Amino acid sequence: MKRCMLVMVLITAVMGLQTTLRAAVGCDLNDPDRDVARLFPGSSGYKTLYVSIDKKGEGSLLREIEKRLGDKFQGLYETIDVPYTIYEIYQGKEKIGYIHGVNQKGQYGGIQVFLSLDLEGNIRSFYFQKLTSRAAKELRNPEFAKQFKGLNLLDFYPYDVVSGKGKTPNKVDAIINPAPKADFDFRAALRATKKNLILMDEFVLGNRYIKYFKSE
Amino acid sequence: MIYKALLTGMLCYMLIPDLSHGGDHLLYFEAQGISGYSQREDEVIFYSRSQEDVMQKPSLGFDYLQRLSHQSGDFGAVAIQARVAYDDDNFEFQLYNAYLKLKHKSTDIWLGHNRPALGLSSYFDSHGLVLSTLAMNHFGFDRDWGIGVFRNFLWGDAGISLTTGSGMPLHFKGNYLFSIRVSRGILNQENYNSGFSLSYGKLLDTMGYHLMEDETEPFAITGVDFTYLWNQFENRFEIMAGKNRAQNSFAFFYRFGINLLNEGRLKFEAQPVYLKMGAEHTCEISMGSAFIVSGDVTVRTMYHFDYPGDDHKIIFQLYYYRKV
Repeated sequence: MKRCMLVMVLITAVMGLQTTLRAAVGCDLNDPDRDVARLFPGSSGYKTLYVSIDKKGEGSLLREIEKRLGDKFQGLYETIDVPYTIYEIYQGKEKIGYIHGVNQKGQYGGIQVFLSLDLEGNIRSFYFQKLTSRAAKELRNPEFAKQFKGLNLLDFYPYDVVSGKGKTPNKVDAIINPAPKADFDFRAALRATKKNLILMDEFVLGNRYIKYFKSE
Repeated sequence: MIYKALLTGMLCYMLIPDLSHGGDHLLYFEAQGISGYSQREDEVIFYSRSQEDVMQKPSLGFDYLQRLSHQSGDFGAVAIQARVAYDDDNFEFQLYNAYLKLKHKSTDIWLGHNRPALGLSSYFDSHGLVLSTLAMNHFGFDRDWGIGVFRNFLWGDAGISLTTGSGMPLHFKGNYLFSIRVSRGILNQENYNSGFSLSYGKLLDTMGYHLMEDETEPFAITGVDFTYLWNQFENRFEIMAGKNRAQNSFAFFYRFGINLLNEGRLKFEAQPVYLKMGAEHTCEISMGSAFIVSGDVTVRTMYHFDYPGDDHKIIFQLYYYRKV
């Protein structure tokens, strides 16, 4: 009994030594084979990569990303060690694009927003994987997703994720909420998209959009 | 012995981060403390179900996933998930995931220790949880040794497995288990999944790593399971019926859960289970809570009552799971 108590105390001590407020809530495609074929017709395969802010740049990178987002990373879905799953899409041995999803706090738990991007970081398609919302049917409507096609991080920079409005006229303001009763989830989707684009710019696009970012 | 094992585990944990810097794998460290009180035993206990079962006991472990790729994409994965658990003044090595998965077109083929294609436990991950499923009540196995095939479809998924029917340990005494499960609905997208399972074979009677009998016993079970998520509510339901260990058997399972607070940090669950094997009837009522303190730390509690065992148990778990 004493030994067992000692074991438990030591386990707790090890945990205490290493515990920081970190999380590891990843976001994988439910069925990568099917989703890749659907989002990139003509592709022949994909490679799965895991990237996290703490491994790439630690606290300074997190602060940089928050600055570009215009909001703090908070909660279980946005800690520094979240393993972001990036799918590199191939046609033969040639890379033709990316798929990347992020978790975002929705009205009823987490939602998952996936983007497929071309090699320049333009959105080819947008879709919700996980979405528990009273307006799920309207938000999953392909007409809603179509509004994101062709946008990139340059279009999302003026969008303020805190107020839900553009600081200057921008294309994101033109995206119509198909379900006004689900405004929380609509704004969560826009925040998730901006976050997704910033992370992709940092992780795989070589920060090609950072020159357009205007810090206040 | 205890101190050496513990020291080894701690050293491994300290060293692991230095080994993990690539982008094609995930590695998690896991630690848990379990304690509780059993009215029947009239003492403090350090397990959630029973001394013979593997889950849950105070333990240190890891969870590793390695993607296998070539120049034009992924072709498979290797998964290893293991623990060293404290077991009645001894340390027990427990291997959960230990499989190689290869992709052929859109089909996954796995070989090793994985989830057989039977019922709710074929996809519902109970690895860190204290409430138990039917697979932990002798209706199937949470993990088993063998080979399996799995494929997703637009309407759901299907899986087939041929395993040893021995669960955690690997034995060859004429034992085998053939299972097939077909389901409709994609849980991550459509918030529901309903499955139909058939399973047939000759099983060895094992509890955790303990082989209870040398002789195999026939097993022929049909099952249906259903999971439905709605707003902050979760419902999991399963029925199994047929021959289990040569006896007419029936099992019923229902788990209701509600997620509260921001990001579902607090969860309450309630679960009735009814089991019938031959003339033996068992009823279990479990109620639990889980509070996510941080992304790495979860505190769980459980109250459990079973009849006719007439045991009231209260269990506390401190669970730590961190990416390294």
